[in-house]
Amino acid sequence: MIVGQRKPFDEIKSYVDGCQRILVLGCGTCVAVCMAGGEKEVQILASQLRIAFKEEGKDVQVDEETILRQCDREYFDTLKDRVDKYDVVISMACGAGVQLAAELFPHRVVVPALNTTFIGIAEKEGVWSEKCRACSNCLLAETGGICPITICPKGLVNGPCGGTNHGKCEVDKNKDCAWTLIYRRLEGQGRLEKIREIHPPKNYKVQTTPATIWHAAYREEEA
Amino acid sequence: MRAKRWVRYTKGLLKEIGIEPERLEMFNMSSSMATAFAEAVEEMTRRAKELGPSPLKRKKEAA
Amino acid sequence: MPIPFAEALRTKEFVVTAEIGPPKGVDIDEMLHHIDLLKDKVDALNVTDNQSSVMRIGSLPVCKLIKEAGGEPILQMTCRDRNRLALQSELLGAYVLGIRNVLALTGDYITVGDHPEAKPVFDIDSVLLVKLIKQLEQGRDFAGNELKGAPKFCVGAIVTPEADPIEPQLLKFEKKIKAGAEFIQTQAIYDLDNFKKFMRYARKFNVKILAGIVLLASAGMARFMNANVPGIFVPQPLIDELASAPKGKALEKGIEIAGRMIKQIREEKICDGVHIMAIGREHLVPEILSAAGM
Repeated sequence: MIVGQRKPFDEIKSYVDGCQRILVLGCGTCVAVCMAGGEKEVQILASQLRIAFKEEGKDVQVDEETILRQCDREYFDTLKDRVDKYDVVISMACGAGVQLAAELFPHRVVVPALNTTFIGIAEKEGVWSEKCRACSNCLLAETGGICPITICPKGLVNGPCGGTNHGKCEVDKNKDCAWTLIYRRLEGQGRLEKIREIHPPKNYKVQTTPATIWHAAYREEEA
Repeated sequence: MRAKRWVRYTKGLLKEIGIEPERLEMFNMSSSMATAFAEAVEEMTRRAKELGPSPLKRKKEAA
Repeated sequence: MPIPFAEALRTKEFVVTAEIGPPKGVDIDEMLHHIDLLKDKVDALNVTDNQSSVMRIGSLPVCKLIKEAGGEPILQMTCRDRNRLALQSELLGAYVLGIRNVLALTGDYITVGDHPEAKPVFDIDSVLLVKLIKQLEQGRDFAGNELKGAPKFCVGAIVTPEADPIEPQLLKFEKKIKAGAEFIQTQAIYDLDNFKKFMRYARKFNVKILAGIVLLASAGMARFMNANVPGIFVPQPLIDELASAPKGKALEKGIEIAGRMIKQIREEKICDGVHIMAIGREHLVPEILSAAGM
């Protein structure tokens, strides 16, 4: 899933200072699971804003709403008529959700409450780690299911650099060296031949930005 | 453990908006620990007196 | 005129290279002095490329200065700061400036240096950089387009014989040789018994090996490297030896140790040469060589 982290309160508040009517808009999917932008986090941020404005003696209306997904147009339908009431929408979605909200409400200021951090997994309660860089060229079949593009800070595809130390990474001694992990896993599976050949250079062309994907059933020319 | 984490987190939320985190505390005790309860109440009363009215009230009075 | 490094590797029993670290800023007097001091004492001068991710004068212009001074330069190239276009155009540029030797490295990560917020490039890695150079030599760029005139380089790469675990490191070492590396320079080594073990393995490959010699200035430096520099292991007896030196004499002891190691490597023909890294004390390289009886 997409993992995000809420921005510091002062930064969020600076985006909305001077506004009279604020909508805090949560997203019920990825960022809800990673406890950054779901219904509960909407309540927390909205409460913080209300108290902070009250402390300043300002009368500001802060409303709360959470939709199932901010990356899907249909879920915004219920909001369309109401959103004009607000000066600003604080989107607690990932960067994709914020942009769709801004696109759908072009006459309203839409600001982000999160920093979108990575595609990752839940390690345990309250801890997530990055697993995928969305490189459009998955090579996990060759690397024992461990992504060197993501786990190795240098994204090396031909083995470890000289900075690896006791199986850890030169960039962060607390993190594992991706290539030591890959080597050990393939060794255990008797599949080291997978990484003995020189791997071709990464193909950044497939990462054309911004990408658009058409499902095979939906042909472009029929659009 | 879980509650302790979330109390600590909530103290941070209060601090972010300028409210003294000491206004919130968690005490561990069982229902039979009357003395401990009384002490906790006294501690919180003492803190409230020391910190004075909440920043929210103060603003109102000033206005 | 110095003999080309490729020829030295081919014909000499024992080659010696030394490292030149370009300064941060445009005052190059001290560096020129070092170049002048070393150019006739070693077979080639190996110029670092924004070493430790700290921004300095680039490797290429300093290689050109070495060439002008009558020395034989080795251009270090890392994959940290340039994508494949920049790497190739710099290599072509190096060739037309008379530079014939390249050492291909992946490069330290950006955050260890003095511009930690910069974008790390790592478009390709050291194995692919060796391959890229070989492809240029075939008259084709890395995308397969034809070149108007092909360069010819003597290409080197590095290995860390003390890496832990060693197997993934050796896998990459073999790829570098497969890609076409003609010489391999090692990370600093101090445990010659361990190094001999590595050499028994490395001798299977048709590649020249230069042992990395880093001058130890004190017992503290040795301990620091053991704790902080990946792939460097200074055995305790050497640390004790440095610590036992009289006050102010530790550096002399370090020179003696470096000289002694070079002498042993040479006399026992453990590998094909050494690469001396004096790290800021380049003026001491002649002393190290005389301590080695060279």
